[in-house]
Amino acid sequence: MQRKIRKVAVIGSGVMGSRIACHFANIGVEALLLDIVPRELTDKEKSQGLSLEHPKVRNRIVNDALASTLKSNPAALYKKSFKSRVQTGNIEDDLSKIKDCDWVIEAVTERLEIKQSVYQEVEKHRKPGSLITTNTSGIPISWLIKARSEDFQKNFCGTHFFNPPRYLNLLEIIPSPKTSSDVLDFFLDYGDRYLGKTVVVCKDTPAFIANRIGVLGIMNTFHLAKTLGLTVTEIDQLTGTLIGRAKSATFRTSDVVGLDTLVHVANGVSQACKNDEALDQFKLPSYLEKMVEKGMLGSKTGMGFYKKTKSDSGQKLILALNLDTLEYENQEKSKFDTIGQAKGFEDLGKRHKALIKGKDKAGEFYRAHFAQLFSYVSHRVPEITDEFYKIDQAVKAGFGWEMGPFEIWDAIGLDSGIKLAKDQGLSVAEWVEKLAKSEQPSFYKNEGGEVSFAKDSESFTPIPGRDKFIYLNDIRSSKTIWSNSESALIDLGDGIINLEFRSKMNTLGGDVLAGIHHAIETAEKSYDGLVISNQGKNFSVGANLGMIFMMAAEQDFDELNFAVKTFQDTMMRIRYSDTPVVLGIHQMCLGGGTEASLHADAVQASAETYMGLVEFGVGVIPGGGGSKEMAKRFSESLQDGDIELNRFRNAFLTIGQAKVSTSAEEAYDLGLLQKGKDRISINQDRVIVDAKAKALELARMGYTRPIQEKVRVLGRQGLGVVYVGAESMVSSHYISEHDQKISQKLGWVMCGGDLSEPSYVSEQYLLDLEREAFLSLCGERKTLERIQHMIQTGKPLRN
Amino acid sequence: MEAYIIDGYRSAVGKAPRGSLRFTRPDDLAAAVIKHLVSSVEGLTEDLIDDVIVGNATPEAEQGLNIGRILSLMSLNTDKVPGMTVNRYCSSGLETIAIAKAKIEAGMADCIIAGGVETMSPIPFGGWRIVPNYELAKEHADYYWGMGLTAEEVAKKYKVSREDQDEFGMNSHRKAAQAISEGRFKSQIAPIEVEEIFVDQNEKKQSRTYIFDTDEGVRPNTSMEALAQLRPVFSAKGSVTAGNASQTSDGAAFVLVMSERLLKQLGLNPKARMHSYAVAGVPPRIMGIGPVEAIPKALKQAGLKQDDMDVIELNEAFASQSLAVIRELGLNPEKVNPNGGAIALGHPLGCTGAKLTVQALAELDRQNKRFGMVTMCVGTGQGAAGIFERL
Repeated sequence: MQRKIRKVAVIGSGVMGSRIACHFANIGVEALLLDIVPRELTDKEKSQGLSLEHPKVRNRIVNDALASTLKSNPAALYKKSFKSRVQTGNIEDDLSKIKDCDWVIEAVTERLEIKQSVYQEVEKHRKPGSLITTNTSGIPISWLIKARSEDFQKNFCGTHFFNPPRYLNLLEIIPSPKTSSDVLDFFLDYGDRYLGKTVVVCKDTPAFIANRIGVLGIMNTFHLAKTLGLTVTEIDQLTGTLIGRAKSATFRTSDVVGLDTLVHVANGVSQACKNDEALDQFKLPSYLEKMVEKGMLGSKTGMGFYKKTKSDSGQKLILALNLDTLEYENQEKSKFDTIGQAKGFEDLGKRHKALIKGKDKAGEFYRAHFAQLFSYVSHRVPEITDEFYKIDQAVKAGFGWEMGPFEIWDAIGLDSGIKLAKDQGLSVAEWVEKLAKSEQPSFYKNEGGEVSFAKDSESFTPIPGRDKFIYLNDIRSSKTIWSNSESALIDLGDGIINLEFRSKMNTLGGDVLAGIHHAIETAEKSYDGLVISNQGKNFSVGANLGMIFMMAAEQDFDELNFAVKTFQDTMMRIRYSDTPVVLGIHQMCLGGGTEASLHADAVQASAETYMGLVEFGVGVIPGGGGSKEMAKRFSESLQDGDIELNRFRNAFLTIGQAKVSTSAEEAYDLGLLQKGKDRISINQDRVIVDAKAKALELARMGYTRPIQEKVRVLGRQGLGVVYVGAESMVSSHYISEHDQKISQKLGWVMCGGDLSEPSYVSEQYLLDLEREAFLSLCGERKTLERIQHMIQTGKPLRN
Repeated sequence: MEAYIIDGYRSAVGKAPRGSLRFTRPDDLAAAVIKHLVSSVEGLTEDLIDDVIVGNATPEAEQGLNIGRILSLMSLNTDKVPGMTVNRYCSSGLETIAIAKAKIEAGMADCIIAGGVETMSPIPFGGWRIVPNYELAKEHADYYWGMGLTAEEVAKKYKVSREDQDEFGMNSHRKAAQAISEGRFKSQIAPIEVEEIFVDQNEKKQSRTYIFDTDEGVRPNTSMEALAQLRPVFSAKGSVTAGNASQTSDGAAFVLVMSERLLKQLGLNPKARMHSYAVAGVPPRIMGIGPVEAIPKALKQAGLKQDDMDVIELNEAFASQSLAVIRELGLNPEKVNPNGGAIALGHPLGCTGAKLTVQALAELDRQNKRFGMVTMCVGTGQGAAGIFERL
């Protein structure tokens, strides 16, 4: 029988435990979160006359922990109301409730005897056959199952989540020798499809895979900062998005994670891996030791490598630590020629190649860093994994690196990488030396879109499980059937094609719109359906503002009118075509990105999708059918007897307050996604696969071009509310007069103008109003200021 | 023909929307108060009553369908007594008493139950469907402003500081707490029996009943420090907070108004009479200043001076407007709201005029004084004032 997870128990409500419980709530699984009973009353409890027996007191630890998790930012839950899916209790009174749970996750203190005593209790109550796993990151799995029953051992393994579990996409599975293969198979699938994670099965070695490599990278950077005399600010300049890692780079990331956590992992490796050839890298540099002594542990203690303060004039100021004096100083960025040269390379692999050739201190840093990294990962095979690709998978998902160490190595070239290591006095493992001398000296190979890895120096094998996904990177070179400067059409197979945006930040400009037209035409002629999706950092941040600004600044309204009309026509084409069009969206999907989604036959959204019609921020209303579409959705939502104005207000405010969903789930509540039509993929890597399946499903069900239905608009009835609301907001200083003007224009569009009574109008009628309003706003100086400010700073201006 | 007030009662005021009266519909609440009133007047039979006039500021939903008529049917054991609903927002409950007086003095009636009811728990402020006139909104959006914003405008125009507003709010709570602890309101309150039917944690249907007879909005221990912590709620740069504005509330209050003829026939002793009642208009955006126009008008009608007033019940819609009114007219703060006001005790809109009348008459009794005034600002730029003489 297939294993089903309806309810889980999480024991231990610390940062990880609470957040893991919340993530189950996110995916629609009830979670029971348990922790210990407090031994002493707080002053507040004393003053309330409570005793240690009171249920409120007995659940205090778990309730406080959950409450602080619910307050944490970024949010642990997709939406607030999901908190009812997490129940709390304590292990003395409520442990028996685990008999109803299909999976028990232990996330208690990292001490062997404590964990073992928890298991002893768990064994008394757990349902036979239920899963029991530990979130340990430091204790060997095989130690934990001693003295446990056979059923317990069979169903036990390590499930190592990364913090924060909602956002970090790695789940390491660590089986013991007793773990049954069914259980492993189950986690490979469940972790991927249900929890949305990249699942990597690890050996039971210290720190497993991601932390072992990731922390080596961090510790190495820490040491290099000192030996090369690079400042905290400089290191973060060098190790952030420039090399495809998190924006918070090395030191800022360390502050967020907490220095104590990092030190814990590093010390763990130091103690457990006496034969590690790079043991010295895990020793703490003296500045780090001092920081830990002084309690400078990062964000949690208010200071780490950075410290937030306020300047004399009250402005927010972030100071950086001087690693020599341990004093905080103003941040000063440096100019590195190496960065300047490498920035020219959009392709991250080519950029790496340029970076290690740098002649300045930055180049020196990169050479030393990658030499150590390459050497280290090569020696970890077969110690921590038999297959090197798992190291890439784990580091990418767990630390958010865009490219794994072996992928970078491939980009630089095997020989160059080996030379790099040797120049630094480091060795690489023999298997790499052998591979470098083989006929095909690379770690990976891409043949016709199928990626395989070098199993040994003689043969390549497809990466197991990769066929479940579609990675555009893999198939781009072999399956592209058409492209222009900003988009490309890629054949996904089975009669479905995909349009990929290739513009900067995936903005919607002229060639993207042309691409959409071409893609729909192509699909209508020769395919069964079209998917519009990409695997960039964000689906799309909206329309190409630079283009609009230029036309608006020159007051070239004919040109602008044409551009907006083209945009509207393209959006309408997405809906009214003879082929199903499915939008696959993820991360930021703003402005024009949202407008395109609103017109799709269906949307397949990553759970992490941040949607919104944010046009107010640049002084306009949604002009690509977004204003029309919200009016239409309002109209379609009406039922006999509704108080129409109140529903109208909600649709209006979604645009008027430039609301952005903090998850795809929240986008349903904003009316930007629709239940029944649009769906969510918990695993972002599955968006394209799922979107393709949806397109096929629509095609198979018999797809007919939708018929245009009239839209009910409220006319004057709605306009009065808009005018009063906007004026009141100005009078109470919540919005500016320019916001008021934009609100009135939006109201005019969404109400269909000043019609005497609620009436039915066509979509085109609303689009014409929308375009007229958009153009008139582009003639406003304050709108131009807003657009310019957004282009220059990336932030909205409230003028 | 003179008209007299025989007696009057009010419910205690519940907090809205989460207070003790939230399970009680406005019709049930008002009917309970009317029944209490009628039964307290010796010799009064229901067939002697000519009309039930009910003030209400949001006459829709639970309060809709002419709640006045519903109430005459619910409260009295006959279908012969008619009923009507009157809306002048926050002075509705005072307006109905004035209408009763006028009708009786014009010889159109002998006995009228007048007052008001408002339950803000189930019904949103302004009602469920607000549809401003678009053409009017273009020119005069401030006609439709929320009351809080007008309070900000008054604070700005009359330079009432945040600190003064907070202090006024704190004093309201202190006076009200004192009044309750001394039991000053006891005799004017009609106790309300509340029944709550609910589903418990085990999905079992349960019910509980309790008697509600004490105003529940008062915070005896509030302090300037606590009040200073509150953020402005109506404006980003404002000074009006939840701590210096009136509370949303549930409540009902009614008085019995009778002609001299019937009074004598029944051998009753009147409690008071209404001397005058005046309403005046002011710019809607400074609605709160309304009493400044209404009070002199009412005094002039009555031929009395401000100093003749012994007790002034000035509805504390907002501390900002209360202080502006007190300062503009030079009202004697000692005489204003001796038992606290709406900031502490609550403001059930359409009921408030009648409630303050009941309170003013009781306070005149307690102080053994003669003249009392009930006054308030009224939405969309109005003020109202009524002058009573205790007999």
